[in-house]
Amino acid sequence: MIFHIGSLLLVIALVVSFFGTVVGYWGGRTRSANLAASSFHAVYAVAGLVLAAAVILWYGLLADQFQLAYVWNHSERALPLFYKFSALWGGQAGSLLFWTLLLSGYSVAVALTFRTRQAALMPFVNATLLITSFFFLVLLVFSVHPFEQYEFRPADGQGLNPLLQNYWMVIHPIMLYMGWVGLTVPFAFAVASLLSKKLGNNWVRIVRRWTLIPWMFLSAGIIMGSQWAYMELGWGGYWAWDPVENASFLPWLTATAFLHSIIIQERRGMLKVWNMVLVWLTYVLVILGTFTTRSGILESVHSFAQSDVGPYFLGFLILIIFSFIWLLFDRMPLLRSESAMDSVLSREAAFLANNWLFTGIAFAVLWGTFFPMFSEIITGQRISVAAPWFNKVTGPLFLLLFVMMGIGPLLGWRRTSANKLREQFTWPLLLSLLFALVYWLLVSKQFYPMMGLTACLFVTATIVQEFLRGVLARRAATGENPFTATWQLMRRNGQRYGGYIVHLGIVLIGAAVIGNQFYVQTTNVTLAQGESADLAGYRFTYNGLSAEHQDNRVEYRAYVSIFADDGARLLRTVSPQRNVYDKNPDMPTSEVGIYVLPSEDLYVVLNGWSENSATFSIFVNPLTLWLWVGGVLIVLGTLIALWPHPRRKTVPAPAGVPVRA
Amino acid sequence: MNRVIHLLRLTLLLFVFLALGQPLYAQDASTVTADQVNEVARELWCPLCSGVRLDGCELKACDQMKDEIAIKLAAGDDTESIKSYFVTQYGPQVLGEPPRSGFNLLAWILPVAVLLGGGLFVLTRGRSMMQDIRPAPVASSERPVPDDDYARRLDEELARHD
Repeated sequence: MIFHIGSLLLVIALVVSFFGTVVGYWGGRTRSANLAASSFHAVYAVAGLVLAAAVILWYGLLADQFQLAYVWNHSERALPLFYKFSALWGGQAGSLLFWTLLLSGYSVAVALTFRTRQAALMPFVNATLLITSFFFLVLLVFSVHPFEQYEFRPADGQGLNPLLQNYWMVIHPIMLYMGWVGLTVPFAFAVASLLSKKLGNNWVRIVRRWTLIPWMFLSAGIIMGSQWAYMELGWGGYWAWDPVENASFLPWLTATAFLHSIIIQERRGMLKVWNMVLVWLTYVLVILGTFTTRSGILESVHSFAQSDVGPYFLGFLILIIFSFIWLLFDRMPLLRSESAMDSVLSREAAFLANNWLFTGIAFAVLWGTFFPMFSEIITGQRISVAAPWFNKVTGPLFLLLFVMMGIGPLLGWRRTSANKLREQFTWPLLLSLLFALVYWLLVSKQFYPMMGLTACLFVTATIVQEFLRGVLARRAATGENPFTATWQLMRRNGQRYGGYIVHLGIVLIGAAVIGNQFYVQTTNVTLAQGESADLAGYRFTYNGLSAEHQDNRVEYRAYVSIFADDGARLLRTVSPQRNVYDKNPDMPTSEVGIYVLPSEDLYVVLNGWSENSATFSIFVNPLTLWLWVGGVLIVLGTLIALWPHPRRKTVPAPAGVPVRA
Repeated sequence: MNRVIHLLRLTLLLFVFLALGQPLYAQDASTVTADQVNEVARELWCPLCSGVRLDGCELKACDQMKDEIAIKLAAGDDTESIKSYFVTQYGPQVLGEPPRSGFNLLAWILPVAVLLGGGLFVLTRGRSMMQDIRPAPVASSERPVPDDDYARRLDEELARHD
């Protein structure tokens, strides 16, 4: 009975979201306060209905209601409670419901934030968010049916995909979805400003924060996904340029370009059309990403026909692509730049170059992701476009992007004088050249890692220089100690210095990628108990194996001691393991044994075992720790940029009253 | 006479070995280490999975491919000839990148062309933006946007509804 109510709630939400879309657009167009208010109410109602439906599905999962096809397919009695909860986004129907739930949450947050402000924009914003909800509700009601029931109640379920039974897989999808779904909000404001013809810089100022928040979640989601792949898949890497990974990376690229180019619109009133295009591209890539991961089209073109959701997605994509292009062309005369570019040696020009590179990389990733499909259609032959292609095509572009990341923030708005150029670039350039020379002579003669690490050092030097200058200026003006001066600098100029911290995070990720791309050392060995293998100056000794039965799996754990100094000093005993699941014995998962050092990860994978021996893949992965530290810095920097900074007082202080710094 | 025939036989055997490109002292596959196999496997991709490198793939088919690599390495084959062998067996899918011929050449050319075209566009557009010094008309020259009175009234109405 309750699951029939779940289905009914989704149908009502579908109708209400359609109603809200119509009254939102109509209310915005006719400027009717009643219709506008109805669009707000529709947003709240849809959120309530979708939340209730999600709670019912959660109940089904937690209470082992195996008569529900979704619960039977993605859960089992012995599944730990934690994973029963996360099974909501473990399958197609549940993940689409979760998407809709998060979108409803964002819609409510936007509606509550702006319920008494931005009156001309909000009915259109509500309508755009609601039409996206409407689309996902169409999928839920007509295609994937999360509440589909069997006529009998099976005794137990099939179990959750073993690969999803990992704590990173619980938090990673939430972060990723919070990022993806949240990027609908800036698109909704863009559409609203086009429809309402309020095309000044107002919408850009609003969406900066509403883009930064999902961007932060998306960045964290991508990093967490990499962490999951690194810890769980056991192939020594963290990023495989797999279509699903690319689907999450594509909107990140265009959203990052957007976050940079809206600064130009805010400061100079330029690039108005381009910003519209970027925010639209980001939204299209979010929907396209969901489409590609849900329809299976990239596995094979044939799976598209077998997929229920594919044609719906295709229809919606066509709608959003063509309707937005039409709207943009219609409003083009209102989107002229308010000022011109003065010099190529300006921050505006650097941002343009940055945007060119970001969109260039996005195109390359999109092209590489879809090319196997095109090739299969045209030539009839399946090919694969994997890491070798992506590294060759995007590697040089990322290198250029890193160089731009160092140059851009040092250039002034409008133009940069020769003196200023000298003052800004002398030390970072000298330091970088010195580093490159030492690296080439003493470390390695490989060109690409040398260039990449030099670019990383150059960007770091420019960031440190900016912080030093800021702190020294504050100290000179206020006499604060260095810590207070740094704190105040970030508190009062969060957008700028938070941005630098994000850049530093990206630099650390870049250094880790270079280390892992060019300097990994690996060996595959079969060791008898007590036997050792040497790699990169470390000794790995196999001590034995244990087997332990958990709720729904057996954990086989090997014990490997890692020694330094030719076996003289024990660093750590790690325990790589294999989990063999009762319901899916053919899909054993891996948990790597890892010892993390600042310079490198010592990474051990258990491949197999017999009575007296075990087979391992051992990796020494340089600089990997900094990948995760970089991720933390990205989140931290974004939070600093988002944090409301104290308003600068413009009222002059009364004479004789001392002004506090 | 027998000696001559024996010598001829030996010469013929030598030619057969040379013609087949096999070394006279081919190794036994069991002497090839897992590291040697994986060095080659790292340059190949699972023909059944999507984007999984052969050395990291655990499918039975991939284990068989690794066994074949060991046999070929023992027979003295180099990495390139082993890769070519697998391309003949499973198609270009095992290379992890599209072949640089025919339609697949487009995979390599188009990103470069788009990037260069985009760069050219940004350059010309940037230059025209630099020449375009006149103050650009703003939205006010178009149809008037809704007045503030209306917005304020709508805000009040909405506040009452909340």
